[in-house]
Amino acid sequence: MAAWLVLLTIGIPWLGGLCVWWLGDQRAGLQHRVASAFAVLGAGVSLGLLRFTSPDVILRIPLGSAFGDFTFVADGLGVYLAIIATVVGGLAVIFSNDYMQGENQLGRYYALTLLFIGAMAGLVLSDSLLLTFLFWEITAFCSYALISFHNDDPKAVAGGIKALIITQIGGIGLLFGAIISYVYLGNYQIHLFLQGVDALPPVVLAWAAFGFLIAAAAKSAQVPFHTWLPDAMEAPTPISALIHAATMVNAGVYLLARFFPAFEAVPGWRLAVMLVGLVSALLAAVMAIFAGDLKRVLAYSTISQLGYMVYALGTGAVFASQFHLLSHSLFKALLFLCAGAVIHAVGTRDMFEMGALRKQMPFVYAVFVIGALALAGLPLSNGFFSKELILEYGLAHGPFWAYAGMLAGVGITGLYSLRMLWLVFYAPAHSAKQVHDAPAAMRLSLSLLALGTLTTWLLLGPFSAVLAESLPYHALHAESTLAGLGQVLSAWPTWLALAVVLVGMATWFLRDRLAGLAEPLQSVLAFIQDGFGFEWVNRQGVRLTNGVASGLQATQTGLLGWNVAYIVGGLILLLSLILWGS
Amino acid sequence: MLHMLLLALVAVVFALQAIKTERLITSAMWLAGASALLATLFYLMGAPQVAVIELSVGAGLVTVLFAFAISIAGEELLDLRPTLPQALSISLTLLALALMGAFSLPLQAGPAAATEPALTQVIWEQRGLDVLVQVVLIFAGVLGLLGLLAEAKAPLAYPVAEEVAARRERELEELQPASELVEEAV
Amino acid sequence: MNVSGLNFILVGVLGLLGVGLYGLMVTRNLIKVVVALQILVKAALLGLILAGNLSGAVNLSQSLAITVIVADTIVAVIGLSLAVQIRRHLGTLDVKALSHLRG
Repeated sequence: MAAWLVLLTIGIPWLGGLCVWWLGDQRAGLQHRVASAFAVLGAGVSLGLLRFTSPDVILRIPLGSAFGDFTFVADGLGVYLAIIATVVGGLAVIFSNDYMQGENQLGRYYALTLLFIGAMAGLVLSDSLLLTFLFWEITAFCSYALISFHNDDPKAVAGGIKALIITQIGGIGLLFGAIISYVYLGNYQIHLFLQGVDALPPVVLAWAAFGFLIAAAAKSAQVPFHTWLPDAMEAPTPISALIHAATMVNAGVYLLARFFPAFEAVPGWRLAVMLVGLVSALLAAVMAIFAGDLKRVLAYSTISQLGYMVYALGTGAVFASQFHLLSHSLFKALLFLCAGAVIHAVGTRDMFEMGALRKQMPFVYAVFVIGALALAGLPLSNGFFSKELILEYGLAHGPFWAYAGMLAGVGITGLYSLRMLWLVFYAPAHSAKQVHDAPAAMRLSLSLLALGTLTTWLLLGPFSAVLAESLPYHALHAESTLAGLGQVLSAWPTWLALAVVLVGMATWFLRDRLAGLAEPLQSVLAFIQDGFGFEWVNRQGVRLTNGVASGLQATQTGLLGWNVAYIVGGLILLLSLILWGS
Repeated sequence: MLHMLLLALVAVVFALQAIKTERLITSAMWLAGASALLATLFYLMGAPQVAVIELSVGAGLVTVLFAFAISIAGEELLDLRPTLPQALSISLTLLALALMGAFSLPLQAGPAAATEPALTQVIWEQRGLDVLVQVVLIFAGVLGLLGLLAEAKAPLAYPVAEEVAARRERELEELQPASELVEEAV
Repeated sequence: MNVSGLNFILVGVLGLLGVGLYGLMVTRNLIKVVVALQILVKAALLGLILAGNLSGAVNLSQSLAITVIVADTIVAVIGLSLAVQIRRHLGTLDVKALSHLRG
């Protein structure tokens, strides 16, 4: 039964993609409805997997000795990430009914989105490293194709290619780990890897650990691989909500969480993970304060919140990081879809051209406030509880300087959340245009996500129970909801963090008085806005590659004689290597 | 074994001559000779059927094809120097051969010869799919040949085609002064 | 068939291979390219029969060799008809000039 559910979770979205593409762009209305139906059906099927979570392999497809077996495991980590992928995917597809109304090439859009949803579910449910890599690459391709969906816009195409190249560098890390597993353990199975990790020599394990860290950092847009996410905002907003907030960027955090028991003993690995998380959280939060494009602010905040999750993994708080992942998926998708509704109504992404939308778009305003509350980490939203869990664990089990940095990050998060809210909804109006509030399909998705944002913290107990019993190598223990919540509310770091958030928000209201302080920092501002130098590194990389490619162009003579000479030269090289190695 | 070595070496010499000669038709002749020697070699190595096929196809069919093509295409007697420096090509080839030889010489004896089914049985029963593939290949080859050697279609002998062509020419002429006006305005 | 005698055949295979590759590197006439390809295939055939002798499966290698002969004859047919058409329409069989021609 569980095997069928797994196959259906992956297969129904894929089948939906085929159907939508086959329907053809002439029947756009039907395409919208069919896509939504398949997405919702997939979500329902994945929810059914909750009854069958177990650490055992439930589906095995033998493929001979070279590829090992393609296996699927429906443990708590995989199932709940699959649920997030399909449910948020379904809501994003429903949102697209209104957002993409009247657009061309809907078949391509929906087919790629549904392909992505299925592949993401497969990625987290797979137990074979090679199969994980296959799904990883499919999601990277869908992400690229959807970012450059408006392929007549050069910025969109450039953003897509940048995302593809940087995440593919990460994919190499994952493939490397898969090959190490095969060479030393004889198979690609993840659960066997976790079981038999002592069979690997320490140096090899260290290589695998840092290779996976690079793969996770590139996929989850952590420093120094974070530059692709802000440029990926050229994608249609439902795609930004789905791929770049709620699902694909979680794949890196998922990878680290799944392999945590294998790598936690590698010296320096946990510190490296903590550092990556800390630097990403702070750097991106600072850049969010200065960004003017609404979606860019959300992109930076995604990088920052993912930094929190990565930091939590570095300190050893696997449950806290996954709980924050759940909260973040919901409230970030909510914020992105709200941004989509606003952008769709106003027609621009620049926050300085919005303003005074509170009266004109009351529904969107209300749900945006809920999302901003969760982002800042204020009570009664799921973001509050999950972030506090991370901070508490970090204080108890990690170095103090890291905790102090993350605490400062919490304050900055409050600051830019309020800034975003204020600029969009409260600032004086910049244009006298009348804008309409969100239409029905958008409201449906937004209200469901807002409901989730306000209530999923109640799932703390059952969630920890599912994780504890289906992840045998992670040494997690279950906690009841009341106990966990009580622990959060009674600990003093919680109130300290709340105070810091309020200080951060107050800074926004005091910004005129603080403007005097900002004068000497003007020169630094340009540096900050250029990504703290990371964009410069990107540009140098591109220049170097182009230069080398132009230089090598001289070898492409197009003459038969030279081409055959290269073939023979390659043969000589290959034979020399083999003879020298034997 | 000496005659086998001799045959092999002479075949190599013939092939070299085929490359080095400047006239195309003698090149085809040298190739035919090498083919014949190779066929003999096949026979001496215990593969008589493929020897016959190689002789008739390699030394016969392909040579006729070459003769055909050369007669239609004509000889081009220009002094064409090679695109690569001679030293480079010779040294690359010899280096590659030396490495390949170091890799595979001396030959090891294979597993003990089990009794093998007869050739017809092998072809039709064990490698039946190969026969199907060959048929498809031949079919594709014939189609390709027909497509390649089709003459460019002669203009239709119908008056309609001539009318269409004439009208198109008139339209082009009318466009000419208009485009000149545009050029002046710009 | 003793193995030491077959070493000479291997030398022959390598020699033909070398001549074929050298021919591909050196020649500038399109029809000579087809000749060089034919020589390479003959080397492959010889190697195939040699392998059949070594492993005792001569008949299997023969059937494979027949397939190869059919395939390479088709290659020669298509290559030569291409050469004829190129000569007819573009006027030259020079590989270097052909790589510069546009359209």
